[in-house]
Amino acid sequence: MPGGPRADRRDFYEILGVPRTATQDDIQRAYRKLARQHHPDVNKDPGAEDRFKEISEAYDVLSDPQTRRRYDAFGPDFRQVPEDVDPEAFRRSRAGAGAAGAGQARGPGGFGGFGTGQGEDLGGINIEDLLGGIFGGRGFGPIRGADQETELELTVEEAFQGGHRSVTLEGPDGRRTLEVRIPAGVTSGQRIRLAGQGGRGSEGAPNGDLYFVVRIAPHPRYRVDGRDLYVDLPLAPWEAALGTSVAVETPRGEMNVKVPAGTSTGKRLRLRHHGLPHPRGGAGHLYAEVRIVVPAKLTDDERRLFKELAEVSSFDPRRR
Amino acid sequence: MGYALVLVRSASLNLEAFARATGTHPDLVRRLVALGTLDADRDAAGELWFAPSQVAVMARVQRLRAGFGLNYAAVGLVTDLLDRIAVLEAALREARRPGR
Repeated sequence: MPGGPRADRRDFYEILGVPRTATQDDIQRAYRKLARQHHPDVNKDPGAEDRFKEISEAYDVLSDPQTRRRYDAFGPDFRQVPEDVDPEAFRRSRAGAGAAGAGQARGPGGFGGFGTGQGEDLGGINIEDLLGGIFGGRGFGPIRGADQETELELTVEEAFQGGHRSVTLEGPDGRRTLEVRIPAGVTSGQRIRLAGQGGRGSEGAPNGDLYFVVRIAPHPRYRVDGRDLYVDLPLAPWEAALGTSVAVETPRGEMNVKVPAGTSTGKRLRLRHHGLPHPRGGAGHLYAEVRIVVPAKLTDDERRLFKELAEVSSFDPRRR
Repeated sequence: MGYALVLVRSASLNLEAFARATGTHPDLVRRLVALGTLDADRDAAGELWFAPSQVAVMARVQRLRAGFGLNYAAVGLVTDLLDRIAVLEAALREARRPGR
């Protein structure tokens, strides 16, 4: 309905997860619990700061019995309703006026940018006042924003080549897309810093930094250990016995690998410095791990030749 | 949206400069050094010097104090615990790493 609360502004009780009948103690308990969970220094998720501010705003209103009464009576626009308005009269006039009643109170300026970034004001209160109340307004002065951390999953190829990746995050000004420069040779657990993209500083203090913690996604072909890569190298028994040269896929493209005669399963053939690059120093290696594979079904010729081989060979792999 | 490159400044800040950079009173800074919440070096003349990284530490102290109404001793405990959790989380990430 046009005159009702907008869907993008959540109910303060809902934010704190308490019923409208909650006691002041219930409200405080809910707030403390949520604040501990979402405080930007405890929770490094980029979305936590907005959630924390939302929780703090809800608590700010509901913790004071007087503002709570006004919020209950007049809804989210309660700050624009003059002090002496009778709740009953307000409700009647609102029901009659419909959409006009909701629109009139909203002035320009005010709350633009709080959390949603949808240009809504929140009843004429200033976002900086509110944030100041949370972080800066109690004699603390300007405070730099908290650092934030989020995971960035990269493919082996992305980690190998480096480059740029667009990442979309839910941030204080709504969704934002960041261009992240991925240094070639980044490995799991490393952090990429985006200066000034973390939590907002209060009163003009600088923002915190945003860190992307790199995680290399499982790859169908490569296993990653630090900067070393491992690939399976399936060989036919005769290839392994006689030696051969086979093409192995590497992130740089196909490479020819010489398989020496007498190679058994488990042997690792090293391609020096064909693993992930190192920005400062030697690249990792690529290891092709031999796995001998036999045909599931033998042709008549193969069967005959294997039998012949079994008869003439004295090789016993189990002999000590 | 791009991001700013950060110059790594290695220059230390003296007490006055540190207090100014963090918008705090030098007395409070001294107290936090005494509590071991802030790290500082003392030169031959007895003056305190702060690494630039301590500016972020101070900001966290202020946010935690403001957000939870903690006293400064409790903030020291909380920051220590948060740092330990960060180390443990990093170790956990390392251990979960695919590979061998």
